[in-house]
Amino acid sequence: MTWQKLAVVASVAGLAISIYLTVVHYSTIPLACPANAVVNCEQVLSSRYAVIGDSGLPTSAAGIAWFLVSAALALLRRRRALLAWSSIGLLTVLVLVYIEIVKLGAVCIWCTAAHAMVLLIFLIALSRLQGDTVSA
Amino acid sequence: MSRPPAKRARPMRKPVSRTPVWVLPLAVVAGIALLVGAFLLIRWYTTPVPPSPLNVDATQRVVTAITAISASELDAVGKGTANNVIKPVSGTLLTGPNGHPEVFYLGAEYCPYCAAERWPMIIALSRFGTFSGLKTTTSSSTDVYPNTPTFTFHGATYTSQYIEFVSVETTDRDQNPLETPTAAQQALVKQYDTSGSIPFVDFGNRYAFSGAMYLPDVVSGMSWQAVADALQQPDSQQAKAILGSANLITAAICKLTADQPAPVCSSAAIQAIEKTLG
Repeated sequence: MTWQKLAVVASVAGLAISIYLTVVHYSTIPLACPANAVVNCEQVLSSRYAVIGDSGLPTSAAGIAWFLVSAALALLRRRRALLAWSSIGLLTVLVLVYIEIVKLGAVCIWCTAAHAMVLLIFLIALSRLQGDTVSA
Repeated sequence: MSRPPAKRARPMRKPVSRTPVWVLPLAVVAGIALLVGAFLLIRWYTTPVPPSPLNVDATQRVVTAITAISASELDAVGKGTANNVIKPVSGTLLTGPNGHPEVFYLGAEYCPYCAAERWPMIIALSRFGTFSGLKTTTSSSTDVYPNTPTFTFHGATYTSQYIEFVSVETTDRDQNPLETPTAAQQALVKQYDTSGSIPFVDFGNRYAFSGAMYLPDVVSGMSWQAVADALQQPDSQQAKAILGSANLITAAICKLTADQPAPVCSSAAIQAIEKTLG
């Protein structure tokens, strides 16, 4: 599988997770997630950090937009733009992980899966650009 | 005649870096792992130690203080800042063993939202009957809104000539199993608490709600006595949230008891809230 396909697959997977979390936010569909002392999606997703400011818009909605853009950049082979975009995504993920661990003391596995996709896309973009520099 | 020295051929490619391609991504992953480790360390250092539960006498003083709040103060607060999450539901009237309408509560001691909601529940239910055996506790130290001061319904009894109160606290504050709902109670929860959130409260299958009517940070870091003292001030943040919630619960119960007892249910604030319940 080429780097481009891998980045697109990771973007589509992240997009699917973000759509699922957004649908759950706006409906009464119960969230499929185990609950124990560490993993607790309900606790994370019902916290004040699960929405963007006072907008009521779930954070996962921003995830939909982010993964759509990253899929487009991967398809268009815009490597530098993808690296810049995924850097912003990774920084956001680090803030969200900080909130989960330090502020809430709970981890949402669906969010973690989406975060892993952001990290994967960043690593793909980084290694591709590094490969280009080396073989230029 | 000597020949000029031959020009050295320029390399076709730039020199290849000696650093393998995988080193930088691996360094990034290692850096992130270190950051996550640092987050865990911060969490461990900043998790507060829960206050010790009050003894029987001190608990009784707090319970007496919050259940003796005057009707005029409750009326003055009205709905306060409470979020009305009570929804009308339909079903066969839920009655207790003595035939009175039943108020059913499902929660857990670790749950901070349950911790917040028990304050107004105790105040509201005490307007229709009497609690005994309430004990102080706090929500989980490792959950959101850690160590929220509260009481537990586990081991407490409630008597009333108007309603019956049945409670299930599923786990203690460390999430060890405590009480198990019966099959009938589980069916109620499945029917009316579709989101699966706790606390869940069913008012005789006429009204129900899940979640808390105010955020637990309203009482965060306070002692039980400090909360009780704040409730004596109608303008305090705690009174507006907790007494406002208590009035909402009172109004739902008044709907169940056909507005009995009259001194409680006929107040202007309760009547006004009753009209909004549907």
